[in-house]
Amino acid sequence: MGRVKIARKSTFIDMTAMSDVTVLLLTFFMLTSTFLSKEPTTVITPASVSTEKVQETNVVQVLVSPKGQIWLTMNNDTSAQWSNAKMRVELLDKVAEIYNESHKNKPVSFNAQQKQAFSKLGAFGVPLSQMGEFLSLADEPEGLTKMDQWLGGEDPNPNHKSGIPITVENSEDNLNEFQMWIKAARQTDNANLAQAMKDGAGVAIKADQNTSFEIIHMVMDNLQTIKQNKFTLLTALKAGDE
Amino acid sequence: MQIRVDFTPMVDMNMLLITFFMLCTTMIKSQTLTIALPTNEKVQNEENMSQASADDAITIIIDAKKKPGPTPGTLVVDSVNGNVVNEIYYYDGKPGGDGGMFGAGGVVLSENNNLKKSDLLSDEVNSVGDHKAQGIRKIIQDRNKDVLEKINALKKDLSDGKFGSLETKAEREEAMAKYNEAASKVRKDENLKKPVIIIKSTPEASYRGLVDILDEMQINSISKYQIDNLTDADRVMLDDYRKHHNE
Repeated sequence: MGRVKIARKSTFIDMTAMSDVTVLLLTFFMLTSTFLSKEPTTVITPASVSTEKVQETNVVQVLVSPKGQIWLTMNNDTSAQWSNAKMRVELLDKVAEIYNESHKNKPVSFNAQQKQAFSKLGAFGVPLSQMGEFLSLADEPEGLTKMDQWLGGEDPNPNHKSGIPITVENSEDNLNEFQMWIKAARQTDNANLAQAMKDGAGVAIKADQNTSFEIIHMVMDNLQTIKQNKFTLLTALKAGDE
Repeated sequence: MQIRVDFTPMVDMNMLLITFFMLCTTMIKSQTLTIALPTNEKVQNEENMSQASADDAITIIIDAKKKPGPTPGTLVVDSVNGNVVNEIYYYDGKPGGDGGMFGAGGVVLSENNNLKKSDLLSDEVNSVGDHKAQGIRKIIQDRNKDVLEKINALKKDLSDGKFGSLETKAEREEAMAKYNEAASKVRKDENLKKPVIIIKSTPEASYRGLVDILDEMQINSISKYQIDNLTDADRVMLDDYRKHHNE
């Protein structure tokens, strides 16, 4: 009885074609991607039928956590004249100026390194009295990780507060820090941003869909007090409805 | 002589890179909803205040659904997606109607409570594909009939090509611009009877409820609406409604 001989085939698969496909896919993703910016809290925005696209430049984004903490992001023009880095430094100067008017006994000031660090931040939001200490972390080893921890509320030091202080009761004569920041953003040299904020497209509120109305109302009320009556709410696209 | 290069490690590496880029990207840009609020400043001159007439006004109150029983205040959470469940109430005209909600000495007049409960529902679609509004959308649409009829006529004109051809992208945009202009004229037409909607929300209700109601304004072409604070009468009406409906 003769045995059936099974031919031994090589298991070598030609991966060239596969490689071609993956490189194509990779190119596609590299070209289309816009990176998610790191945020101190993750929120799921509510769905809406509105199809208006969000403005990417010249916008101040107010990130609201369900607990009522607030962080800001400022995206400026793409032009060199009003670049992000330049305007950030100016914003910090302006807000310090406004803050010092009402806190004459405890003024804040920032040195060149701290300003430099601020211009590189994504979302920001610590009380101004702690801002200097926060920005100085950038020069320390592992400083960026420490800053992220601070903003995310995971700092081991309980005195390190994250979120811009905001109050329910507010008036134009006695601004809280959140209002100071918004005012400062309106006063920077970037005329495009100032115009966008006037039209309402320049201020965007990003909040989680389960945030209570109490908190949203507080933010809206604070904006109204400083005559920022128009603004936009960030939403996700709702499918199905008209 | 044949040279063969093994591409397997190359593919591995590419796959890793693709995974990295896929996880780090946002494909969908967020949408925005623009709102304009009235100024917080007190109006000095009473005559300058524009008052909505009671016939036109509808007040919508958003409230979070609470668990009944001995622990009031605990919010009901959707078991599937973990979202806060909102309830929609509304009333026409003034709280308590013409009689008002409060009698002499601040007594609550339950019989005057004109609060009604409604729901946020998406359209019922029948087998032919016709949409039928339900819940709060139906109520708003009934009130805004005049405007919606005209808007729907304009929409038909748009699809029939009366605003210009819809073939190329540029033409489509031009037609859309013309349509939007005409639609906005209809929405602001003073001769048409249209409601003024006042949106209120209890502090516990979630932000999603507010955006949902603002959406309804857009869907139903409401030109006059505002977000206002909850008054005492509103609160009393909500409590009274719950008491009488065992909720």
